[in-house]
Amino acid sequence: MTAISKIKSSLFDWHREIPSTTLAFYRIGFGALMLFSTIRFLANGWVHDFYVAPKFHFSYFGFDWIPYPNATVLYFIFAMMVLSTIGILLGFFYRISAVAFFVLFTYVELLDKTTYLNHYYFVSLIALLMIFLPANRFFSLDTYFGFTPHQKTVPKWTVGILKFQIAIVYIFAGIAKLESDWLLNAQPLKYWLHTAHHFPFFGELLKEDWVAYFFSWFGCLYDLLIVFFLLTLKTRNFAYVVVIIFHLITWILFPIGVFPWLMIFATTIFLSENFHRKIIDFLRRLFKKENLFNDNSISFEKPNRKKLIHFLLGTFILFQIVFPFRYLLYTGKLFWTEQGYRFSWRVMLMEKTGYTEFYIRDSETKSEHIINNSEHLTRLQEKMMSTQPDMILQYAAFLQKEYADTTIYFGTNEFNFKNPEVHAEIYVTLNGRPSQLYVDKSHNLAAIKNDLSNRYWLEDFKE
Amino acid sequence: MKKITLLIFAGVFALTACKKDEEPEFDREAMLTNMASGVIIPAYQAENGAVILLHTKAIDFTTNPTTTTLADLRAQYISTNLLYQRCSMYNFGPAMDYGIKAALNTFPTDTTKIESNISLGSYTLGTATNATAIGFPALDYLLYFGTDAEIILKFTTDTEATKRKIYLTDLTSKMKTEFQPVLNQWTGSYQTTFIAANGNDVASSCSYLLNEFVKDCELLKNARIGIPSGQQTGGATLPEYVEAYFSGLSKSFALEQLIGLKMAFTGGPGIGFDDYIRDVESDDVTTSLADNIISQFDICTQKITVLNNPLSNDIAVNYAAVNSAYLEIKKLVVYCKTDMTSMLGILITYQDNDGD
Repeated sequence: MTAISKIKSSLFDWHREIPSTTLAFYRIGFGALMLFSTIRFLANGWVHDFYVAPKFHFSYFGFDWIPYPNATVLYFIFAMMVLSTIGILLGFFYRISAVAFFVLFTYVELLDKTTYLNHYYFVSLIALLMIFLPANRFFSLDTYFGFTPHQKTVPKWTVGILKFQIAIVYIFAGIAKLESDWLLNAQPLKYWLHTAHHFPFFGELLKEDWVAYFFSWFGCLYDLLIVFFLLTLKTRNFAYVVVIIFHLITWILFPIGVFPWLMIFATTIFLSENFHRKIIDFLRRLFKKENLFNDNSISFEKPNRKKLIHFLLGTFILFQIVFPFRYLLYTGKLFWTEQGYRFSWRVMLMEKTGYTEFYIRDSETKSEHIINNSEHLTRLQEKMMSTQPDMILQYAAFLQKEYADTTIYFGTNEFNFKNPEVHAEIYVTLNGRPSQLYVDKSHNLAAIKNDLSNRYWLEDFKE
Repeated sequence: MKKITLLIFAGVFALTACKKDEEPEFDREAMLTNMASGVIIPAYQAENGAVILLHTKAIDFTTNPTTTTLADLRAQYISTNLLYQRCSMYNFGPAMDYGIKAALNTFPTDTTKIESNISLGSYTLGTATNATAIGFPALDYLLYFGTDAEIILKFTTDTEATKRKIYLTDLTSKMKTEFQPVLNQWTGSYQTTFIAANGNDVASSCSYLLNEFVKDCELLKNARIGIPSGQQTGGATLPEYVEAYFSGLSKSFALEQLIGLKMAFTGGPGIGFDDYIRDVESDDVTTSLADNIISQFDICTQKITVLNNPLSNDIAVNYAAVNSAYLEIKKLVVYCKTDMTSMLGILITYQDNDGD
């Protein structure tokens, strides 16, 4: 076979049957990791800190209609999430569990964009895919109890789409790093590496500029290329060792939680089927279930479904490739305006810190009052809002409502706010540049629509 | 292969070794050690001594209310308050546990509340509602609300004189009994705890220091200058909102706080945030952020120096100068809240973060 026909065949034989051990292995791993991270989220008290404590919630564009649950419902949702991860892990009522996990996890994420993280988005996408994958047809309680027919093979696309999703994460993260702050100034790594200076010996090293440049360039090349090394049989094992080392280093140096573990797990999809089988065999011996194998295998795919599968896969793939590029529709510096920043695999690219002074101003008397942000927002919300334009507008709209028809007292002095305007003076520093004016006080932010158009009301970015 | 590894290690070692000769070693632990033993504990010790003496002087005055004992007590009040201005920005750890900042200096004070407490003769000074009826601002009222003769009258022949005396010494006694354990903790086990928390996480000492430093800068901007000069009320000035309204010493106290803040930044002659900043910055940076902040401190000092006591009066007659002080302090706050915070990478919240 020529190289081209090899590539062709590996790209287009989506329906070739491959052993179902890989999917079973992936289901167990994903379920276990999500179980761990959900419990960790609960144990850290984050349900309260991020979702119960805030009085105001920064909803996502187009999702402001979703109902906000009270504390009891929230904890119930998390309890259900724990159950659904166990269902996924065991392959027990798998399809229902997968749907439940995807819906609940995504719902919670949609409640407040303050806690947006790319790896949560990644989890949502994997969870969505898992719904449609026959990951419970092998070594699962569903087959054990006979809910689902046992099946030794699955079509290749079921594993391929997971590989594709991981490739998207890495390659777009790499493309996002082809950028002057990252490559030419080694920012924000230059600052961030410094925070680890208390490590013996290496701490001193991490202060060096050349180390920051090395990490930046290596990180960029890693993101761009790792998937190709993982796909190539010859380099696969070596590449996986690099994956482990790379993510362990990021885990030690930065407060990025479960993300490194997620990626260390996620990339195992590229390892040999043999490896997945060994893990399953190990588990099988552990649970003394030798006889789960039998040969009454049936085909998963009904031929008349192929068209539908092609259509769905095609739509998903196209969306994943196109959506991160939507920032090209906007003018101005992406890091400054953040138009099209989220959901685009831009990880660790910005050290952006802001200082905001919000004022409500009576439109008639022009009397003004500075808002104490901590009265309305949690510290995390305030920090995130200070540098993100859409959140600034959402907060302004909230303040206008909050202070409409109110009177503020200073001793015996009364200040009435009938129909208040909301103004803000905001300074922001980006990737080590001196702080500069971000929002000028002249705009009535409450009158600006929070939409997808260019953000003319931001001050121009000065390099 | 072995040779290469050896060579790399040798090279790395040589590089770090060189670095050591070039510039003084910085690490957070050294900074925290200096902040504890060189700045915070000395400031607390001075304040503790002053608070003890303040109580003694209060007793002297109430036993024998004369113009001399009043003058003595006032002098001690002023020096104790001035010394406190260098402690207020360390509102974490023991100070936080004992709620020192709120108990000592919540202003403007509520004179109605104070008078009603005195009349009732029964009160719990530690309650939240009494936060505006205790501490320095309450003393400021009791010792300066009128002429010397009027004040002495209130403590001698007035029908509520005895109650007033008790209230005064209750205030100073509360200050004394609360400040001592804060100092004891610092000179005891807390110092070790403080130095050991040398990371950059939200519960680290650097995070506490930075946060409270920034908050105190904002307090200077808003409470001491901004609110009285009408920055929060669309220009409608609120002169009675200044700190130490009755003694009229607000400017002196503000100036002293600025000195305290600068020390919190520089670590006095020892290692402080300024050295931290210089350590993080690239070697080729032309003007250090640390220098910018220090010169902004100096500008603020100038701007406050040209103001006059009482500030409540200056707001009316010297508004432009007050306003320009406000704007310069705001620049200082912006430096500290954005540039400095960003550079030091000290976390303010406990959350996973992929930097977006």
